[in-house]
Amino acid sequence: MNSKTVLYILKRIGLAILTIWVVITVTFFVMHAVPGGPFMGEKAISPAALKALEVKYGMDKPVFEQYLTYLKDVVTRFDFGPSLKQRGRMVTEVIGDGMRISARLGLIAAGIALVSGVVLGAVAALKRNKFIDKAIMVLTTALVSMPSFIIGTLLLILFVITLKWLPGNGASAGGLVLPVITLSLYPAAYITRLTRSSMLDVLGQDYIRTAKAKGVSKWKIIFGHAMKNSLIPVITYFGPMIAYIVTGSIVVEQIFAVPGIGRTFVSCIINRDYPMIMGTTIILATLIVIMNLVSDILYKVVDPRINFD
Amino acid sequence: MKKVLSLVLALLFVASFVAACAPSEPKPAEQKPTEISVCLASEPDTIDPALNSAVDGATLIAHLFSGLSKWDLDNSGKLVIVPDAAKELTKGVVNDDGTITYTYTLRDGLKWSDGQDVKASDFVFAWNRAASAALGADYGYMFDVVKGYDEVSAIDDDGNPVNPDAKLAAEAVDDKTIKVTLTTDVAYWNELLAFPTYFPVREDVVANENWATDPSTYVSNGAYKLASWAHNSLITLEKNASFVDAAEVTMDKINFYLSDDANNMLANFKKGDWQLIDDVPTNEIASLKTEFPTEFKIAGQIGTYYVCWNINENILPAGSALTGNDAEAAREEIRNAISLLFDRNYIVNDIAQGGQVPASSFVAMGLTDADGTEFYKNAGPSSSFAGYYDVADSAYTDNFNKAIEILKKYYTYDGAKFTDFPTMTYLYNTSEGHKAIGEYLQSVLAGIGITMNLENQEWNTFLNTRKEGNYSIARNGWLADYNDPISFLDMWTTVSGNNDVQFGKGASAAVKFYSLDLTGYGIDVKVENGTWAETYDVLISNIKKCADVTTRYALMHIAEDMLMKTGCLCPLYFYTDLYMIDDSVHGFFSNPLGYKYFMYTTIEK
Repeated sequence: MNSKTVLYILKRIGLAILTIWVVITVTFFVMHAVPGGPFMGEKAISPAALKALEVKYGMDKPVFEQYLTYLKDVVTRFDFGPSLKQRGRMVTEVIGDGMRISARLGLIAAGIALVSGVVLGAVAALKRNKFIDKAIMVLTTALVSMPSFIIGTLLLILFVITLKWLPGNGASAGGLVLPVITLSLYPAAYITRLTRSSMLDVLGQDYIRTAKAKGVSKWKIIFGHAMKNSLIPVITYFGPMIAYIVTGSIVVEQIFAVPGIGRTFVSCIINRDYPMIMGTTIILATLIVIMNLVSDILYKVVDPRINFD
Repeated sequence: MKKVLSLVLALLFVASFVAACAPSEPKPAEQKPTEISVCLASEPDTIDPALNSAVDGATLIAHLFSGLSKWDLDNSGKLVIVPDAAKELTKGVVNDDGTITYTYTLRDGLKWSDGQDVKASDFVFAWNRAASAALGADYGYMFDVVKGYDEVSAIDDDGNPVNPDAKLAAEAVDDKTIKVTLTTDVAYWNELLAFPTYFPVREDVVANENWATDPSTYVSNGAYKLASWAHNSLITLEKNASFVDAAEVTMDKINFYLSDDANNMLANFKKGDWQLIDDVPTNEIASLKTEFPTEFKIAGQIGTYYVCWNINENILPAGSALTGNDAEAAREEIRNAISLLFDRNYIVNDIAQGGQVPASSFVAMGLTDADGTEFYKNAGPSSSFAGYYDVADSAYTDNFNKAIEILKKYYTYDGAKFTDFPTMTYLYNTSEGHKAIGEYLQSVLAGIGITMNLENQEWNTFLNTRKEGNYSIARNGWLADYNDPISFLDMWTTVSGNNDVQFGKGASAAVKFYSLDLTGYGIDVKVENGTWAETYDVLISNIKKCADVTTRYALMHIAEDMLMKTGCLCPLYFYTDLYMIDDSVHGFFSNPLGYKYFMYTTIEK
């Protein structure tokens, strides 16, 4: 790694921190500007009780002061505060619980999507215009255009209600099978199509022809030369995809009642659980920023021609 | 070769997938008959008895804790309040100053789940804690009947308790005896004792602020112990063998799955994994009724779905000559006329479809009157129908025509439509069900030339808008906390946080239009053309301090008469509680507040 690369990475990290600060600031003020509040319910609580709660959680102070206190707590003590809705639990605890499940779900799904996508994409490229290529393309086109709530619901009806093979609840043993399938289908299809087109592009390059002419074996050409270069677009896609998939798919978690972070994210916004909204937003933003950074660096590893200037 | 390769790759893919997804836990054993799995709602906000204000939380707490009284079924299958931790539910003794003192003796052998004895002081501590301003509990006001509540709950401008040492008039005379003094006798006192907010907690346990989130710190005194809590996923209760009535508890283990997706609940119910689900998808109600005739249940629930008007919204035509009290009277008449336009049977049978009951009064079905009959049946001007107007199918055409005649007095009618009714906006919270009802109301009004636009808002925003009075007409609903009509009436006082109509607020504060005469009841109150605060608020405070049961209920009817006369509340239907329960479950019951009881269930296939 040369000094240019190190400088580039440092610059990117600085930019990432700036991005996250902007996200925190914007979210904080927008969140407080939205009507309603965390202690608002169908049945109003007494003004005395409301006042007591606001004092307890420091919400009686001006918003800007609350913002500074929040920033200080997060930066100096990594303290995200307590959840206002799930009384007695800390934000980090709630997010930790949800993230463990969403991450497990997401990583398995991402792994499956990557392996199957690259394999199917390569097969399709090598078998261009043959039946198998056309079959893969039809299937992936269908999957890319079908939203996950349709796929999820179909799987739920088929495997849970009709066949009764699998549990329909993410909390039960084996309950993650259907959510994993639902979650992996779209990225798998997308990666298949990416791999196929970039593989076709690479296979048409001069250096592949040269290798062929030199009598290099077909497998060596594919795995030694073509594959590595055709994965660049996949890497660009894969980094941010992991961030999204790992931070919880709201739809899939809802359909299969998976206790992941996605459901928490939605409910904390509805409940105006301010510390939870901030916590989940920061985690999500950080992950996306990091994954983007990682995929940019991986670029360089895969393709030394890419210059960081 | 190539074909073989693709086959191998495909197999590899499948194998890796199966390996990745294989459950790490062992497969669950065949469900034992002494275990039941249910799903009521998503993660409860809290299962601290003092802090809880939700129905699902109350169900959990009713299994985990034992209060002085409890809900139960008598031999005829009727819901009754019976003693639980108390030996008996004694009668109160009236003191010289009009307050009333109850003395309870605890049963022998009451234990906390960690083995310690339950003491009278645990109840007294728990009540003071729940009522205190410092805790800020949603249901702290449940103690407003107990002497000393005003001092305990008062806070100053900085949010600090005014009297940090103030206590409720409740005393542990010894380890077994509790003495509590109420400011006035209330009919629902025994029922309050069965309410989670009144359940005991132990001081050393709740000293840890996070005690109610983890089984290792959760100490309860009821039929069950909190065995495990996988947050957002599953709460498991196990029978407490040292519970004093353990012999009567038939269900050993209850799994409360935590999900709020009705479609997912239904899938798990159909698969047979869950024996009870507390919600069903609205658009499937009709088919579920025929598909599961014995398992689809409609239970009564004490609540009213209604439309509320903003009292400060001027609905008179532009250029109307009416002013002051004349205008106020006209608006009342117009709002009441519009209430007559809607076909509640159509709403219930064709839109909501959940066995709801058409409503023509605000105090819901299920609340009892002084003589034990239904309060709503005695409401309103006529004895030939319940409530304030006849909602029988046969009366609809007459109602509609009557409404048109009334509206003709104020608006220009061209023979088919009114041409100068101001455009209104109907506000509802985002939900298919509320939208469908909004569209029906809109179509009825459009049929006579009244334009009502629909606007939906996300839940929390909606609550805020409605509370602030930034609307003209809005969807509303109210569920009772306890079986007493006052829970539907004291919410409409001027200062109440639930006064969405804005009675006595804004422009309405200065309106001197209301009259009240209580001299016939021996109460020295007579107001003519007073403000809302001078009449309704006074009436409510008199109800609260009225010791005579018959008078008290008569006053509550007067309060509802006042409310309904304004026309600001347009009741549509009384709520029902829809749930599904597997045929194999026996011994289950629920109470009118929606709490569900599984402790006495058995499963017989």
